Amino acid sequence: MFYEFFIFEIKYRLKRPETYFFFLLLFMFSAVGVEFVFQGIDLGLVKKNAPLVIAKTMGAITGLSMIISSMIMGVPVLRDFQYDVTSLIYVNPIAKRDYLLGRFLGSFVVLLFIFSAVLWGMMIGEFMPWNKPNEFLPFQLMNYLQPFIWVVLPTLFFGAAVFFATGALTKNLMVVYMQGVVIFVLFMITKGITNETLQALFDPFSLTTLTKASKGWTVADRNAALIPVSGIMLLNRFFWIGVGILALAIGYNKFKLIVVNEKVSPKKQPQEIKSTAVIFTKRLPLVTPVYDMKAQFVQLLLNAWFHSLSILKLISFWAIILCCFVVILVNSVSLGNAYGVDSYPTTYFIIEELREMSIYFFMIILVFYAGEIMWKEKDVNLNLIHDATPLASFVNLSSRFLGLLLIYAIVMLSLIAAGMLFQTFNGYYHYELDVYFFGFFLELFPFLALYTFAAIFFQALTGNKFMGMLATIAFAIINVAIGVFGLEHALLNFGGQALASYSDMNGYGHFLTAYLWVKIYWVLFGVLLLIFASILMAKGNETGLSKRWTSGLKQIEKSFRIFSLVCLTLFISIGSYIFYNTNVLNEFWTKGEQSDFRAGYEKALKQFEYLPQPKITAIKLKVDLFPSQRAYQIKGEYLLTNISPVPIRQIHVQKLLESNLTLTDVSFNCPATTNKRYEKYHYIIYELSQPLASGQTLRMNFKQTLQPKGFEADNSDIDVVDNGTFFDNAVLPSFGYQKKYELQEEDDRKHFALLPRKHKAKRDDVRELVNARSGSDSDGINLDIVISTTAPQTALTSGDLVAKWNTNDRNYFHYKTNQQIINFYPIVSADYQVMRDTCIPLGNTKNKPVDLEIYYQKGYEYNLKRMMESMKMSLDYYSKHFSPYQYQQLRIVEFPRYRTFAQSLPGIIPFSEAIGFVMNIDDQKDVDMAFYVTAHEVAHQWWGLQLEAANVQGQNMILETLAQYSAMMVLKAKYSDKKVQQFLKFQLNEYNEAKLKSSKKELPLALVENEEHIYYNKGAIVMYELQEQIGEEHVNKALQHFLKDWRSFNKQKKLNRYATTLDLIQYFRGVTPDLKQHVITDLFEKVNSMK
Amino acid sequence: MQDLIISNLSKTYKNGVKALQDITLQIPIGMYGLLGPNGAGKSTLMRTIATLQTPDFGSIQLGGLDVLAQPNELRKVLGYLPQQFGVYPALSAELLLDHLAVLKGIINSKERKEIIQALLHKVNLYEVRKQKLGGFSGGMKQRFGIAQALLNNPKLLIVDEPTAGLDPVERNRFYNLLSEVGEQTIVILSTHIVDDVKELCPRMAIINKGKVLVQGNPLQIMENLQGRLYEKMIHKNELEHYKNEYQVISDRLYLGNQIVHVLSDKHPGSGFKLIEANLEDVYMSQIFNA
Repeated sequence: MFYEFFIFEIKYRLKRPETYFFFLLLFMFSAVGVEFVFQGIDLGLVKKNAPLVIAKTMGAITGLSMIISSMIMGVPVLRDFQYDVTSLIYVNPIAKRDYLLGRFLGSFVVLLFIFSAVLWGMMIGEFMPWNKPNEFLPFQLMNYLQPFIWVVLPTLFFGAAVFFATGALTKNLMVVYMQGVVIFVLFMITKGITNETLQALFDPFSLTTLTKASKGWTVADRNAALIPVSGIMLLNRFFWIGVGILALAIGYNKFKLIVVNEKVSPKKQPQEIKSTAVIFTKRLPLVTPVYDMKAQFVQLLLNAWFHSLSILKLISFWAIILCCFVVILVNSVSLGNAYGVDSYPTTYFIIEELREMSIYFFMIILVFYAGEIMWKEKDVNLNLIHDATPLASFVNLSSRFLGLLLIYAIVMLSLIAAGMLFQTFNGYYHYELDVYFFGFFLELFPFLALYTFAAIFFQALTGNKFMGMLATIAFAIINVAIGVFGLEHALLNFGGQALASYSDMNGYGHFLTAYLWVKIYWVLFGVLLLIFASILMAKGNETGLSKRWTSGLKQIEKSFRIFSLVCLTLFISIGSYIFYNTNVLNEFWTKGEQSDFRAGYEKALKQFEYLPQPKITAIKLKVDLFPSQRAYQIKGEYLLTNISPVPIRQIHVQKLLESNLTLTDVSFNCPATTNKRYEKYHYIIYELSQPLASGQTLRMNFKQTLQPKGFEADNSDIDVVDNGTFFDNAVLPSFGYQKKYELQEEDDRKHFALLPRKHKAKRDDVRELVNARSGSDSDGINLDIVISTTAPQTALTSGDLVAKWNTNDRNYFHYKTNQQIINFYPIVSADYQVMRDTCIPLGNTKNKPVDLEIYYQKGYEYNLKRMMESMKMSLDYYSKHFSPYQYQQLRIVEFPRYRTFAQSLPGIIPFSEAIGFVMNIDDQKDVDMAFYVTAHEVAHQWWGLQLEAANVQGQNMILETLAQYSAMMVLKAKYSDKKVQQFLKFQLNEYNEAKLKSSKKELPLALVENEEHIYYNKGAIVMYELQEQIGEEHVNKALQHFLKDWRSFNKQKKLNRYATTLDLIQYFRGVTPDLKQHVITDLFEKVNSMK
Repeated sequence: MQDLIISNLSKTYKNGVKALQDITLQIPIGMYGLLGPNGAGKSTLMRTIATLQTPDFGSIQLGGLDVLAQPNELRKVLGYLPQQFGVYPALSAELLLDHLAVLKGIINSKERKEIIQALLHKVNLYEVRKQKLGGFSGGMKQRFGIAQALLNNPKLLIVDEPTAGLDPVERNRFYNLLSEVGEQTIVILSTHIVDDVKELCPRMAIINKGKVLVQGNPLQIMENLQGRLYEKMIHKNELEHYKNEYQVISDRLYLGNQIVHVLSDKHPGSGFKLIEANLEDVYMSQIFNA
């Protein structure tokens, strides 16, 4: 008997098309599985077919595909009830054991067949033509087989057992559909467990377990070792197999071979009222049906409400919502940011977190209920009655569409309520309802609406709930893929671009215009989809796509034709308008065109890379900012000096490569002819009629204008904005070849037959030893600059403020440096509040006070005191131990969170609104990172601004590692040792994490190139160790001498190159006793593992 | 002329079944019975008239309205009760009626309320109007079905096998309701139960295998058999023999013996007695002759 059931199940499944469909789906998905699962994660030196990578990919795919498992395993028993054959089957003398076991094992065998596609798919994936051989190990069957058996099979068994048992016991199809989702939610919940071991134990898909089990593995381990069959992995697998067995046992015991389950259907039969004596004899009242536009509109609204209400009454819906809120509650809103300190729960942070956590659930709701809502009549067999009504098909579908939107709106409102509750619990009472509203209804809502259009369209196109759902999911995945592979134009990529980050300073800024136009365009496209769908959803029981289409066409009315035509016209017009803005008024470059251009640039101009060019020694600028137009006009004058030994005949001027930016009126105080051979690259060569002899100077005048036209749809242009303009002198004309325009990606370079790009020159590269930056235009300048901006904004840059005035409602600021600065200064303008203070740095010999200023936006006062104190303490420490502070002012200025960094320029530190300002520092448990980051940036006034380093390997150790050291010493002066240790521990974690992801062999600190985890994180640890070993004073002494000898300006002996780590280490060695010299070697010149 | 005129309607399904073959009918106001065995094509014809299916050939006219060209115009005056239908189990009768009334264009909420109240009384569901449809019995559901079909004062009411599953009392109530509606409306009643037609319909057609076998007034149709119909009680074993010898149009058991009805122009011989024809005999003779 068992065998009969077993074989029946297999035969049944083998006849069903979805079995093969699932197989194919998993197969194709698995073939690109590694790319999908590890999307955006740098695997570093770990190969793509390493067992660990395969195991994680398999685990993730299995997890995502639990719904398939649920659809196969949940229905074997339920099916008998669904088709009402239970009476026929259960009446026979069958044993419960045979029945259940046969059904279970039969389905499980089929499930194994389907999921074997993961194994085959991933193996095939290794041989895909686009794979790069250096990312793969030689093929090894075991690397696939072992993770499949050890990771996938137990998960499958557990899922199969649970799904089978619940399906058999509940006999409810919706439960079967939902439980795959529920398991996924369970997994999300485990991610919220903070105890790593417990989290690893309870992860049903073993993903965190794998991470935990492979903790501390080296790259070699990761490439070679199979998945451990011991420790946490063993426990985890046994745990879930155990749960599976338990589920089966419970299911077996509770299940009864009876047809009517009395407990399940306690429905009360309505009492028939036997009051037939009074027969209603009145004539039926007359009704006046109306079908005009107004009536259709009323129908639309009433039906939308009806459909929403019917979803709101579904238990499954509330189950999803419950899951969503449980996930949010368990994961909590993570406010952590890059420095390991929580941020204040500002509204935009909360919204971003809530959106991120709820988006899956919105997509689940969208896909499921679009299917439900479209076929609800058919599901209960009401469709004939429904279709015989004169309701217009478009009104019908639109009301379902609106019904879904209403559901989203309700969920969003509850998320907003949850967000405000969270803020309240965190003692944050600055509720911004408008930000909440726009964060959800402007950013997320249109996205969902567009996908709902698509979902309804796919439901209509496939004519089948299940296929429609799958098509919608496939469509969403393809869309994501298309975005990655380069269909970049907002008019082609479904839904268009996301809205740029909301900034408290600048709101949504100018990004909103483009966003709204593009969304209107896509919504019109959605309406067209809905029109197609409403034709395809012809009334009646026609099947087959073409039949439905022709029959649907016959049913549409004239007014609907006109409406469709209007939509189409609007769609094309708005599309054209957007195209006019993005491609005619502005330039649109595809990624391919950009790469082409960059490759061409390098090929044509690389010859000029080290061509001697004059250096800028003085700059005069008149900058007029027009923030509301995002425009500026700059009139500039460079004083150029030929510091090379040879005469210079040609001045190569490179305009910034940006659309809407014009460079005009370039002239020299010496006749010059223009050579436009490379004009394509905005690279103009001026042939001087008289060569500029060595040591001679030349004046260059120019005018540069930025005048944006229309809008672009790519969220670029963050430099000049309504409130929070921030850019630096890199926008101004530059001289000679610009390395920054080269193609960066190795693959792209290979494609264009370009040589691999060196990250940093070697320490003995004589051509770069004289540069402090790639292609530097200057070895120091004097700056004189007048900036005007719209009142009430304040404009800032480096230098002393020598005058300020207001004319015609514009604020003017005149800044002038009183000494040489490096050629690096910002232009900042926004509406600011100011906190002011002064101090005389301890080590400054002149008794002149330094003005300390923090320019911040209203509402961001949280950490101003910490930052101010840090400025003072830093200035004291550095001036005392390194050298006097060189300027009369130190300003911190806030800029919008489109960029999240802080940066030190002469006397001025632009600081992103997203860091520092909003850190919620708990002095009990946190390190005061607002204090630390400020100290780090202030340190750059020495390391980078007083002393520049040569543009070779190790440059970042001098600039950044020394800034880290300096800031740590200030931190140590202010806070207890415990805090410093906590800081170091955080650095160690960051370093170890980044190291695993790095694809490069690690270089010693002294030779570091651009690896942040080495020069920041490891650097901090190394320098702390150094001062422990040889003493803080000795380190400071070395640095003081290093600075004195190698400073950029006012140095005693003139040097013809910039400093390198070779020089710096000599100073360290100089203060280190012989016994400890090896410490220097170990720390800086070797790669040692950190403890 | 408000008659429903069906001309040369034909439909062949993909699997080769000829569901409708050149059907031509003229249906005036009043009850019209469409009689035929299961699978005769009644439901196909009903669905086609109800615009839920398109024929391969033929036309349907209601008054001046070309139904096939303007299906939605017909739907505005249509009441349709399909042979089988379901309901949302979680909704109350009142709510679903309200929803369907909106779909039918009754957007004036007062009007909607009035017609729903009246219909609920009429079909005797008023007392249970707030209860969930999921708990309704077959008869209650069927009454709900007729209520929804009458929401929009239809000019054409199509009821497909409405009495299946109703007990005699319910069936009776149902007949009363239909005949009342039939006073101003074209009511097409499809059924395989001869009694339904006999009791209600002044006009009727018998269809089988997609063809109209006979149409007209039931009395006139019965007239055709007058004086040609004979009955005899025989032994069960003899049935085969009689079927070979005579044109047997029906046989049934009566007290353990077999009664056969035989059609014959002259008296078939001993034991046979001339009987009055009834509709059932007409039906049987048509089906058998076909």
